[in-house]
Amino acid sequence: MSGVASKLQRDRARAAGVGTNGNAVKYMNQDFDCLRNECLQAGKLFTDETFPALASSLGFDELGPNSSKTHGVSWKRPTELCSSPQFIVGGASRTDICQGALGDCWLLAAIASLTLNEDVLARVVPSGQSFKENYAGIFHFQFWQFGEWVDVVIDDRLPTRNGKLLFVHSAEGSEFWSALLEKAYAKVNSSYEALSGGSTTEGFEDFTGGIAENHDLKKPHPQLFKIIQKALRRGSLLGCSIDITSSAETEAVTSQKLVKGHAYSITAADEVEYQGQQEKLIRIRNPWGQVEWTGPWSDNSQQWSSTSEADRTRLSNKSEDGEFWMSFSDFLRHYSRVEICNLTPDVLTSDEYNKWELSKYEGNWRSGSTAGGCRNYSDTFWSNPQFVLKLEDVDDDPDDGEDGCTVLVGLIQKNRRKYRKMGEDMHTIGFAIYEVPEEYAGKRNVHLSKNFFLRNQSKARSETFVNLREVCSRFKLPPGEYLVVPSTFEPHKNGDFCLRVFSEKQAETQELDNEVQAKLDEVEITEGDVDDKFRKLFSNLAGQDSEISAFELRNILNKVVSKRSEIKTDGFSLETCRTMVNLLDKDGTGKLGMVEFKILWTKIEGYLNIYRNKDVDHSGTMSSHEMRVAIEEAGFTLNNVLLQSVVARYSEADLTVDFDNFVGCLVRLETMFKLFKSIDTEKSGSVEFTLLAWMTFTMI
Amino acid sequence: QFLPSDPPPPRRPVQYAEQHESEEERQFRKVFQQLAGDDMEVSPSELMNILNKIVCRHGDLKTDGFSMESCRSMVAVMDSDSTGKLGFHEFKYLWNSIKKWQGVYKQYDADRSGTIGALELPGAFQAAGFPLNDQLYQMIIRRYSDEDGNMDFDNYIGCLVRLDAMCRAFQTLDKDKNGTIKVDIKEWLQLTMYS
Repeated sequence: MSGVASKLQRDRARAAGVGTNGNAVKYMNQDFDCLRNECLQAGKLFTDETFPALASSLGFDELGPNSSKTHGVSWKRPTELCSSPQFIVGGASRTDICQGALGDCWLLAAIASLTLNEDVLARVVPSGQSFKENYAGIFHFQFWQFGEWVDVVIDDRLPTRNGKLLFVHSAEGSEFWSALLEKAYAKVNSSYEALSGGSTTEGFEDFTGGIAENHDLKKPHPQLFKIIQKALRRGSLLGCSIDITSSAETEAVTSQKLVKGHAYSITAADEVEYQGQQEKLIRIRNPWGQVEWTGPWSDNSQQWSSTSEADRTRLSNKSEDGEFWMSFSDFLRHYSRVEICNLTPDVLTSDEYNKWELSKYEGNWRSGSTAGGCRNYSDTFWSNPQFVLKLEDVDDDPDDGEDGCTVLVGLIQKNRRKYRKMGEDMHTIGFAIYEVPEEYAGKRNVHLSKNFFLRNQSKARSETFVNLREVCSRFKLPPGEYLVVPSTFEPHKNGDFCLRVFSEKQAETQELDNEVQAKLDEVEITEGDVDDKFRKLFSNLAGQDSEISAFELRNILNKVVSKRSEIKTDGFSLETCRTMVNLLDKDGTGKLGMVEFKILWTKIEGYLNIYRNKDVDHSGTMSSHEMRVAIEEAGFTLNNVLLQSVVARYSEADLTVDFDNFVGCLVRLETMFKLFKSIDTEKSGSVEFTLLAWMTFTMI
Repeated sequence: QFLPSDPPPPRRPVQYAEQHESEEERQFRKVFQQLAGDDMEVSPSELMNILNKIVCRHGDLKTDGFSMESCRSMVAVMDSDSTGKLGFHEFKYLWNSIKKWQGVYKQYDADRSGTIGALELPGAFQAAGFPLNDQLYQMIIRRYSDEDGNMDFDNYIGCLVRLDAMCRAFQTLDKDKNGTIKVDIKEWLQLTMYS
């Protein structure tokens, strides 16, 4: 609401470390410790006004107010449901999670996978919560949301019917962490109903901050086995499942005891010598803790007797615990997909894991400035944000025996679910990767131009452009510098994104963006440079006081531009003319003398030339995408964020910039650059303001 | 000291707002939906049309109409994601401010000229929550008043919207409340170019 300032304050907080798991952003500004203390002191239980115990929090359609499915629902605290409720008993386990009347099995699968990794669970479910010590009806959880961790506070009123929880509940009915976690996640997504029909991948990512890859086993990656082995060494969460063709098949058990439509975890991948050859084996776990595969390499199968003693001791697994081995070739034959959730290095506290290196960048697409669309739109593609990725060291133990640098590139669009009510949905997004040409090697303060993309082919790109929350691809590239260009499919789509690069070795990722600076050639004009013709013109215009006011300037400029058919303008506003007078008025009269007017006139002529050159189709206007180049020719380089602001401020609804706005923009830029310089007397690059000074300078 | 109007409450989920709004707010939401069109956002030209439609119903407010330039500026100072448009909450905040300041304008136009003269200005701005010093009043008159020092209604609103926004911007950035803020060149340009 405080406009740009609030955005800047958010950026500053991020730079100071807010948004990491250890220092999460407080969702809706609610502070768990403060709220709990308040409640304890007042001796009352917390009630959350921001996610009220009302029908509206359940849903909007099937679970909407007055729907049959929500009939008879009442909200109750666990203390009203059983005599001694527990938050978490003896660590989290999969029996804590039983599905309720909501189609969010994907979420449950993701929550279930959390219980397999203590490090990961501890980040989502902060410790020190219980129904006994310091109980005040308030709980909190942490989720990863589009690049940052948020801490979400809830009260413990849960939707029930006939004394039973409506949604997620534990098998025993007295353990509540999973039901409360579901409520917190529903709050972030605005209602319980918003949770139905998501994907496990989204859940995986929101609980870990990792990046999830999907592998279709119908056309498996040639090095999949190696990828799985490495993923396990990195502590990644791995799931696999068998597709179902109809809902009737859900949890159907095959003759060899594999369960369809059910989420399994992969827990190991190894090789043994068998009949003179290396046999690849994979170990899988059924989260039920029972029902195991009965085919080759299962617990008591004959294959094990033909292996070496050492291999048997190392791998054998005979108990009925839901975990079993199978050959990798059988695995590929029976299973349909593998999901790998690659974790960020900060999750893994133990040194035994090989960690990914992570780099992350946030950016925006803005219609008219940085929303350039994909490669098909060559006029605007180059204006998308650009990021440079430097790969130096090749992988240890390459997957395929060839040297190269493995990277996972993920592009996630932010907050799109929120906009569904307004009829907007996910954008179709993707990215392209280019090799940075030698002449640009090592440079960071440039934005590659249209010509570069016309002349160069992409080296790699996302598999498709798709309307999912995230696109993610795995690449193996030779060492070098690469340019990543994320975009929407079509140009002119507003959106915010987060680009993440996971690399096997340390990589450097940076936004390739212009440094903000101004190179202004001062127009040196003295009284003597003014010719008689101009002198005469001036005295006609200025009237008796021999000075030109902003009001007079407006009349003059509008008279001049109305005669020129090759430039389009709806006339200079008084505001623009005031800025011009302010810029050149050296003596503080608020009016321009002859020399000052001559300087202004020279400037305007220069702007006119730039403007006409950029008007490629002779329409009399300039496309807003040309602003970057036009502003540069006028002596200023701006970064993406500033360019977006300038276009939003000065362009028309049809994404053109007319002449008066073009001049207004340049004059204001020059004024603001000069003002900053004049205040920054020590050239420190930053300026301190008191409120009074701030108001004086910004009201100009 | 400046007294900017209270900041709006944090955004709540849409359905919460709908559930809890008063009849007046419900009416306002309907009006907004009509004004904002399908994208549910108000552009500078939409804002200009609305404001001009309203001021022409008030004969006692002298104005030559809100200019496109001043509407662009008003949108810019309220907009935080540089899309160039205002969402429901931003627009409502702007709307309420304008309503309040319009009352002040009429009250302090002592000579019923329909404009706020140089002498009426300090009283009016003080009542609007902005007691300024003489230097700032002088600057504002130079920037927003006509050649005779009179400020008409559109300039008055444009000026207050900006004053209010800049004041709030300062408070937002003065996180530790020590009375000073520090900005670098990029931040400076972001704050001043988009305004």
